[in-house]
Amino acid sequence: MQPMIKVENLTKRYAGVTALNGVSFEVGRGEIVGFLGPNGAGKSTTMKILTGFIPASAGQVTVAGCDVFEESLEVRRHIGYMPENNPLYVDMRVGEYLKFRAKLKGVARSDRAERVQEAMERTGIADVQKRVIGQLSKGYRQRVGLADALLHEPDLLILDEPTIGLDPVQIRQVRELIKELGKQHTILLSTHILPEVEMTCNRVIIIHRGKILASDTPENLRKTLRAGGVVNVELRAPLEEAQSVLQALPGVAAATVTAGEDGLVHAAVEAKADADPREEIYQAAVRSGWTLRELTRSRTTLEDIFVQVTSEEDEAEEDRRDERRSVLR
Amino acid sequence: MRNVPTLLRREMNAYFASVLGYVVLVFFLLVMGVTFAVIVQYLTRGPTQMTAMRIMFSMFWLPSMVVVPLITMRLLAEEKRAGTIEMLMTAPVTDFEVVVAKWLGAVVLYSLMWGATAVYVLILKKFSGGTASLDLGPIASGYLGVLLIGQFLIAVGVLTSSLTKNQVAAGVMSFAMVFAFLLVLNWMDYLLQGGAMGKLIKSLSAFDQMEEFARGIVDLRTVVLYLSASFWVLFVATRVVESRKWR
Repeated sequence: MQPMIKVENLTKRYAGVTALNGVSFEVGRGEIVGFLGPNGAGKSTTMKILTGFIPASAGQVTVAGCDVFEESLEVRRHIGYMPENNPLYVDMRVGEYLKFRAKLKGVARSDRAERVQEAMERTGIADVQKRVIGQLSKGYRQRVGLADALLHEPDLLILDEPTIGLDPVQIRQVRELIKELGKQHTILLSTHILPEVEMTCNRVIIIHRGKILASDTPENLRKTLRAGGVVNVELRAPLEEAQSVLQALPGVAAATVTAGEDGLVHAAVEAKADADPREEIYQAAVRSGWTLRELTRSRTTLEDIFVQVTSEEDEAEEDRRDERRSVLR
Repeated sequence: MRNVPTLLRREMNAYFASVLGYVVLVFFLLVMGVTFAVIVQYLTRGPTQMTAMRIMFSMFWLPSMVVVPLITMRLLAEEKRAGTIEMLMTAPVTDFEVVVAKWLGAVVLYSLMWGATAVYVLILKKFSGGTASLDLGPIASGYLGVLLIGQFLIAVGVLTSSLTKNQVAAGVMSFAMVFAFLLVLNWMDYLLQGGAMGKLIKSLSAFDQMEEFARGIVDLRTVVLYLSASFWVLFVATRVVESRKWR
């Protein structure tokens, strides 16, 4: 089956600035993919190209098998799009706006009222349908944007920063809604908030300075990027002995033991890739007759990965710049 | 052009959901009402060659210069500023459909305004008595001229609105262009009497054209000129809207 989105070597240059530099990725049907990157990484640009709002400078982009430039109108029929900042006609009433949008999107007259009603119910805005959009809270407006994206039952939802500017309760509601929608639609959403992708997406694409740095499930990213993470241990044991014993365990990459109060020691144990040394540590403690007070594994969060990946890239960039400088001298 | 009726309805709603539509309508009727009163007052002084509606139509430029920028400056500039243009252009509609609907919306509003002045014709009919029966032919062609010139000025307004995201800048630009087209051209017509250049200017002068329409002469060349000019201007506006794609 052909993928929902296929992007090959996508490059976008604005006057003097390269926003996207040879980006390639695919999104399969039914996936919820999170586009993760700092501000200005090229997330919105990619989405604008996917929806046909702006064209690419180079590269091939297809949505549901249609070229976004050649068959733009056809592509737009497949996509429900919520742009950044969710622009709406603030002078219109919710129901009126959605009816207008349904007409524009070519929803058949006989289905129109039903679709509008359904979209409003799914996003929980049926009770505000008579209100003017400009007077709604941001959370409600965001849902109007989502309802609009759903109107023509598109195969693909593209949501640019769907939770930006919402309060925590609203964020939770919108995330729940996205998860719910993911059961029936393919979703590509962008965000620079990490917990968001961890919670809602089954795949993450990390994009930085117009390039894709990583693309995998949140779990796999954690595995490959920072191995087994760090295990925090608190023991009643002599410091040097604990250091040497822990260091020698097969699943341990490095151990740093520091003295705590009351004769306790703290150990931060870095696990080797794909290893979980907690049982080894417990058994070692039993063998040596230590009392174990804490044994917890701190999982690497996506945040760590994100910071790691983007800063590695930044360092590499700096090295290259230094090299260039030294060559010039 | 399938989506034009849908978009047009939204445009009409936008005029009358905000105060803009009403304010412009009131302004227009105030200016025209005062003008009409002055004309009637003037005609009661004694017999003249002119009819009330002919003088009325010759004043068409005065409200146009204010009304056209007011009702067109918002059209595309505001969509760009608010970002709603992205919603619009990522729906399955073409750029030309959007531009045409915006133009048509303003033309409909403009026609409604002028349509309201038909009341003056009724007033004239009631009070002119039996002495001078009202000749409806020149009045109809006069309205045609007003509509024809107006729709072109509105197309120009749509174009200036597509050039910027600042409504006021768009309004000032369209005012300048309407001013140049109406008054500067008329002034050049006055300066350059005769010669090829003078002839060309004369054939383009909206004042002269309006004069003819108000006398009951419908010159097909003028009709074709204005319709094709509007089409061309709207085409350019569409290219400007599309220019986001190659900038």
